[in-house]
Amino acid sequence: MNESAVLRSPHAWALSRKRARALKGALGVLLLLFLWQASVPMVGLEPYFYPAPVDVARAFVDLCAKGILPVYIADSIGRYAVGVPLGAVLGIVAGVLIGLNRTIAEALSPLLRFLFAIVEVAWIPIFVIWFGYGFTTILLALVYVVFFPVLYNTLLGVRTAPQILVNALRSLGASRWQVLTLVILPASLPGIITGLRVGAGFAFRGLVFAEIIAAKTGIGYLIFEGAQTQQTARTIVGMILMGLMWLTIDQFYLRPIERATVQRWGLTVEAEQR
Amino acid sequence: MRMPMKMRVNLIERPPMLGAIPFIAVLAGWWLLPRVLDYPEYMLPPIATVLDLALESIRDGSLARQIGVSLLRLAAGFFAGIALAVPLGLAIALNRHVADIFRPVLSFLQSIAGIAWVPLAIIWFGVGVGSVVFVIANTIFFASIYNTVTGVQAIPTALHRAVRSHGGHGAGLLFNLILPGALAQILLGMRTSLAYGWRALVAAEMIAGTSGLGYMTMEAVQWQRTETVILGMIVIGALWMLLDRLVFTAIERRTVMRWGLLQR
Repeated sequence: MNESAVLRSPHAWALSRKRARALKGALGVLLLLFLWQASVPMVGLEPYFYPAPVDVARAFVDLCAKGILPVYIADSIGRYAVGVPLGAVLGIVAGVLIGLNRTIAEALSPLLRFLFAIVEVAWIPIFVIWFGYGFTTILLALVYVVFFPVLYNTLLGVRTAPQILVNALRSLGASRWQVLTLVILPASLPGIITGLRVGAGFAFRGLVFAEIIAAKTGIGYLIFEGAQTQQTARTIVGMILMGLMWLTIDQFYLRPIERATVQRWGLTVEAEQR
Repeated sequence: MRMPMKMRVNLIERPPMLGAIPFIAVLAGWWLLPRVLDYPEYMLPPIATVLDLALESIRDGSLARQIGVSLLRLAAGFFAGIALAVPLGLAIALNRHVADIFRPVLSFLQSIAGIAWVPLAIIWFGVGVGSVVFVIANTIFFASIYNTVTGVQAIPTALHRAVRSHGGHGAGLLFNLILPGALAQILLGMRTSLAYGWRALVAAEMIAGTSGLGYMTMEAVQWQRTETVILGMIVIGALWMLLDRLVFTAIERRTVMRWGLLQR
């Protein structure tokens, strides 16, 4: 081992290990692409049945040049960015309102579980009957799938807020509003964040499905339409973009939110995963 | 995925009747609605119509058939996905460098698994059973393989060394340390992926099915037979509650909780 490696600080070590991991990860991606490209002549099928990475790259450039892709991406992001926060806010408000009364919370709990068990995918047919194919149907599906996990976990958080703190604040003369904002909401925050994470994951796939059924633009539509017109390379462009979009959302929105709230306070509670 | 302490508060300690009240209120509202508001029947058929359809389709066995078809596909896809993913995941995870190479790719593939594969599945397998089972197996496979790899990697090095220094190697190491150590993460992955798989099943049947609950529900939209749509939704919800309760709570109790890996 040479001298510089020995003298490196722990921080530098962690950094270089991180870099080594990233390099290995990149190697994995390249390996996958290479195997895929190499398998194409071996499989020997029509490009529409088994397109090569080169075909996919060409389709990507073509979709960009025609200006289709930026519009689709913007539409998908727009739908997601409206639906998920709306569902989360509604879920938090409903969860707090329901949770403040023990009897109401207990009475409503089975119905709420049942409604969440009717997955958003199953609501899409009736949304289509009620609202037709379009933005309303997609938005409702997204709001629905975020609403329930957030609501349920908020409810759980509100119901499990330490009673001793509530009593302490009350005896010091705090108002109901103060009890809510100083004890109950902070206590339910880990649950709310968990609910949001679960809902955000379901919502992303729900978005793709809703776009397949009820949209004329968006990544889901691209994936479906590409396959319908036997432009399979376009389908795969859509799938890859979908994965990249989800990793972006996860890395730059969900994880920072978790870090800023749950981890900072040392509260990690894993709530209902369904 | 983190594995923090699991906390569940028992919301079930309540008089059984209390939870029924909101259901009764919803049914009463549904019964009352056509008497108060004027809307076309296809928007929301009266309860009696849905009930008649339910009784009829139970009597002639068509509902049981659709449920059976859907559950069979779920089971087939689930077991195929796990049977492939867990051994492969273990093989990848046994070497740290190999695991580092594959993990980002697996994380990416996990994030697109499921519904997004339906259109491609139609090209590869045509409309029908093949596509549906493929999509479920695909969902379960990518989630399970990713969680197997991360589960094995999360086993503390100290335990490895302890087993090794007592002479454990080969199959002993695998069965005494690696499998039990990764099990909690694998089960957690299975549970999450089953929720995705169930959605993928319903979605795949809607787009690419020729039978099953999803097909039944979506097909009815074209004929504006809303009572079938509603019946389908109720059955989908009830089945999912049953599956989650019976299958997963039972498995967790037998394995993870017994070994004290997951606290409630």
